Amino acid sequence: MLQNLMKNVWTPLKPYYTQVYQEIWIGMGVMGYIVYKIRSADKKSKALKGKSFGDGYEIGMGSFS
Amino acid sequence: MNENLFAPFITPTIMGITTLPIIMIFPCIILSTPKRWLPNRIQTLQIWLIRQITKQMLSMHNTRGRTWALMLMSLILFIASTNLLGLLPYSFTPTTQLAMNIGMAIPLWLATVIMGFRNKPKVSLAHFLPQGTPTPLIPMLIIIETISLFIQPLALAVRLTANITAGHLLIHLIGSATLALSSISMTVSTITFTILFLLTILELAVAMIQAYVFTLLVSLYLHDNS
Repeated sequence: MLQNLMKNVWTPLKPYYTQVYQEIWIGMGVMGYIVYKIRSADKKSKALKGKSFGDGYEIGMGSFS
Repeated sequence: MNENLFAPFITPTIMGITTLPIIMIFPCIILSTPKRWLPNRIQTLQIWLIRQITKQMLSMHNTRGRTWALMLMSLILFIASTNLLGLLPYSFTPTTQLAMNIGMAIPLWLATVIMGFRNKPKVSLAHFLPQGTPTPLIPMLIIIETISLFIQPLALAVRLTANITAGHLLIHLIGSATLALSSISMTVSTITFTILFLLTILELAVAMIQAYVFTLLVSLYLHDNS
């Protein structure tokens, strides 16, 4: 299957992937970095929100013990 | 009502696994590659259409710009086919998702900018100041041109998203109105149905036009920078 892939896809498109689309790969890398930053910021804010909500809950429940 | 209105824009999942890759690859099944020297009727029609679009789109480019032919043609075919398939009932259109359109716009736009700065740095920098600008306006105009450069990918993405999403929402709303009015007044319902019919024809045109506009703008940025 890999041999077929190499023969049908990689061999005809090698000059494109290696020379023509160099800047597109850089653009995709920048895009991936932006996506990573947005997702990690979203996770951090959700974790912070959950933590602050949990703290209030614990304090409220802790007063009974 | 609110839940139903935005339900078509939620990415469909099967048992928690997203089906988006399958939906995005689906147009490839419709656009088949001929294995024979003389293909069948549908393939001949598709190849003729693709050649016409390629000739029209790449006529303005130089040799370096024409190396992007495969990329630009894939882009226009993908956007046009997903937009048109999205007009079928109960289908999902990937191009309504802003994330996907930004994912298409930013790499392509950034590639054209990097290509411009790499091959012709002076000409690329000169684009920040149009010819014949009065001297007092130069600093402000450079700032404005820089902002307009960075707005380009966002405008590309938001234009496609907003057009397709708005069209789908309008069809949904007017269709619901037609159905609701059919039990109240047949005349008004018929008028609303006529509006729905005309709107669907408009959406068919918009689907293809937006694909063309997206690809044309990318090729324009490429032409400026190659």
